[in-house]
Amino acid sequence: MSMHILHKVIFGAATIAAMAATPTFAQEGAEFFNGKTVNYIVATAPGGGYDTNARLVAEFMQKYLPGSTFVVQNMPGAGHLIGANYVYASEPDGLTFGTFNTGLIYGQLAGDPAIKFDLGNMSWIGKVASDPRVIVVTKDSGIESFEQLKNSKEPVKFASAGVGSASTVETTMLVKALGLPVEIVSGYNGGDDQLAMRRGEVQGIIASRSSFQEFVNEGNAKIIAQIGGSESDVPQLSSMTDDAEAQKVIALVASQSNISRLSAGPAGIPEDRLQALRDAYTKATTDPAFLEKAKSLGLPVDPKVGDDVATVVKAALNQSPEIVTFLQETLKKD
Amino acid sequence: MIETMFGALFSLVSTPHIMGLMLIAVVCGLLVGVMPGIGGKLSIAMAIPFVYGMDMVAGAVFLLTLHAVNGTSGQISSIMFGIPGDGDDAATTLDGYPLAKQGQAARALGASITASGVGGIIGAVVFAIMIPVLEPVILMFSPAEFFLIALLGISFIAFLASGSKIVKGLIVGFYGLMLSTIGMDPITGTPRYAGDMLFLWDGVSLVTAVLAMFAVPEMLSLATKGGSISAVSMDRGFSYRQLLSGVAEVPRHWWLVIRTSVIGAVIGMIPGLGGSTAAWLCYGHAVQSSKTPERFGKGAIEGVIAPETASNGKEGGSLLPTLFFGIPGSSGMAVLLGAFLILGIQPGATMVTKHLDLVWTLIWALVVGNLIAVGILLVSCRWIAVLTFVNGRMLVPFILIFVTIGCFVSDVQWQNLVVLVLFSAIGYGFQRAGWPRSPFVIGLVLGGQAEASLHQALQLWGYSFFLRPLSLVLISMIVGLMVYAFYRNFRPGKPHAGMEVNT
Repeated sequence: MSMHILHKVIFGAATIAAMAATPTFAQEGAEFFNGKTVNYIVATAPGGGYDTNARLVAEFMQKYLPGSTFVVQNMPGAGHLIGANYVYASEPDGLTFGTFNTGLIYGQLAGDPAIKFDLGNMSWIGKVASDPRVIVVTKDSGIESFEQLKNSKEPVKFASAGVGSASTVETTMLVKALGLPVEIVSGYNGGDDQLAMRRGEVQGIIASRSSFQEFVNEGNAKIIAQIGGSESDVPQLSSMTDDAEAQKVIALVASQSNISRLSAGPAGIPEDRLQALRDAYTKATTDPAFLEKAKSLGLPVDPKVGDDVATVVKAALNQSPEIVTFLQETLKKD
Repeated sequence: MIETMFGALFSLVSTPHIMGLMLIAVVCGLLVGVMPGIGGKLSIAMAIPFVYGMDMVAGAVFLLTLHAVNGTSGQISSIMFGIPGDGDDAATTLDGYPLAKQGQAARALGASITASGVGGIIGAVVFAIMIPVLEPVILMFSPAEFFLIALLGISFIAFLASGSKIVKGLIVGFYGLMLSTIGMDPITGTPRYAGDMLFLWDGVSLVTAVLAMFAVPEMLSLATKGGSISAVSMDRGFSYRQLLSGVAEVPRHWWLVIRTSVIGAVIGMIPGLGGSTAAWLCYGHAVQSSKTPERFGKGAIEGVIAPETASNGKEGGSLLPTLFFGIPGSSGMAVLLGAFLILGIQPGATMVTKHLDLVWTLIWALVVGNLIAVGILLVSCRWIAVLTFVNGRMLVPFILIFVTIGCFVSDVQWQNLVVLVLFSAIGYGFQRAGWPRSPFVIGLVLGGQAEASLHQALQLWGYSFFLRPLSLVLISMIVGLMVYAFYRNFRPGKPHAGMEVNT
């Protein structure tokens, strides 16, 4: 027993308290997984960032749940909805959980009828990364700062992914709330947005920093503002506006950027098994081999486990009626 | 430059463990490719777990070869059973299957195997030549051009069904276009004709539709007709002479081979244009440039050569933006890109400066892999071709099982099996009534592409996008094609010179 606790102390200071209190509890949970097959659902097609990240997490969680076999299953489609709905509807026995875009929270807030889950009720296991959002403008746009963008006389064209995607929702909300002279051109999927910026048909984008860092480093574009994250080389967007409503929208986007690459299961996974999963998740995401692999894959790592994630999600779901109306208007289908 | 180029070839062929892996990749790729519905994208996805732990060069060569030879064997089922594995193979079916019915499976296989090998190699050459001018060429094509290229492809429907069938062809083409509107509306984000069925949000599964329109009807008619696929009996069937005569068709049509390979490679190079566009454009091009277009659809060897060279040629092309921009040129490349990241290959402009040797190794891997694949297939197709002489009643159940598995595996949605049955009924109806089915696939493949890029182009430039220089070139090509089609159909004194495609 003492060895067991000692073993755990090495990993993640933040979870020590929780684990020391429930070692036997989690131990029983961990034994449940011995000889079982765990289905890890990925709501995207194989090959992308989500998939790579998921396979890495699954590989290392299996390592820390002795006797278990993790099977990664891709369930792409309908902008992560098929995968997320599947996870929520599956048996809460701890043997099925998965990963999907947290951007689905916007759909839930706006009451999208296709959403058959409640993010607030899910069994949150953890998240791997924080992925701050940035406003990026091309070199050729001649824009150097956020002020300049805001005061531009001509409308500036911004690229975004498909209508209804988290990227488009965030861009639309921010543009509306900040009153930017931006025209959104949607329908750029995958790397098409970077190509469109190189072609010069669009001048900017609001995207996650990790996917645009390389593009910026190569000298194609410049980051003029950031939402969330701890980097200090770029001014935070929240410091550039006094408008109360805009601040709320920025805060909502920031909370999303803090829980990227999550793992969650259906509501009602038994406490002991959930605890065992969270323990395995902590050990997996702090394993030096995991960190090294994540680094070589260019995956940002900033893990959080269990209740910490649930708290962020619940806080994000608790929005004022004005913001909800605002979201509904943004997502309104003409 | 030259030194790096041949140094890479030398180190590739002189490293036993890489050559061994390549051989495994070729064999696996060919085996997987035979299964309908399992394309290059899925085979790489399945192989990803195995490359963890391989070194960078070995892993990259393994995956690339696996992906590249996949299409080479996909044509076997297209030609022999009329079962396309994917949208691009459907074009090969049009003339390949009639040839098999005439007992010329070996000739068709010889031609198509060689054509895809040569196409793959020319694609790799185009890749090498294009490296310095890659950026300006790729940046020339914007959504405005994507829309017009899709429209150009759609206008080939006029050549696939002319004469007495032009009305039927148009109806079927529009039916395909109509089905391409199922799914998420790219302008408003509203699901169209999908209701609560989430699996339809991304549109009708192309693999399912193609299998239902081509494979199942052919199998049903084979089962009801009785006998074997080949109308000619066994003893007049396979011979190496026939196979070699097929191989010889490729150099005989060398000019067509070069044109279609280059078109394929260039289309593959442009991210945003789907892979199936290449095969269909080149098939259309072969028909339109032929002196005897009426032979197409009834077993013209050019109809086999053109789409095969194009679909393998595009592999070399689509590797370009993947490696140098990190922007995949096709769905298969998107998966490959993810795998490259796992192997520690960071695509980007630095590939040319820092990893030129790796780039050359990959180009050579395409060439050598294609050569090995052609060799293996030419030797082994003797035994495969025999299947066309087997009684259909024994063959059909097995093939239908493969079709069902392929349909399910490609998207892992059980609902697609229901769609398969529904569309198969429609496809069988078309076949019995003698309506052309290829316009349907063109409509379905290119309709969604045309809609999405038209919307983007209008958002970006309004109607003035038609006046962009490259747009004007493409528009004049479309107009020229239409005029030519009219002329051929309504030429006085010569009744219905158009061909009648029945597949």
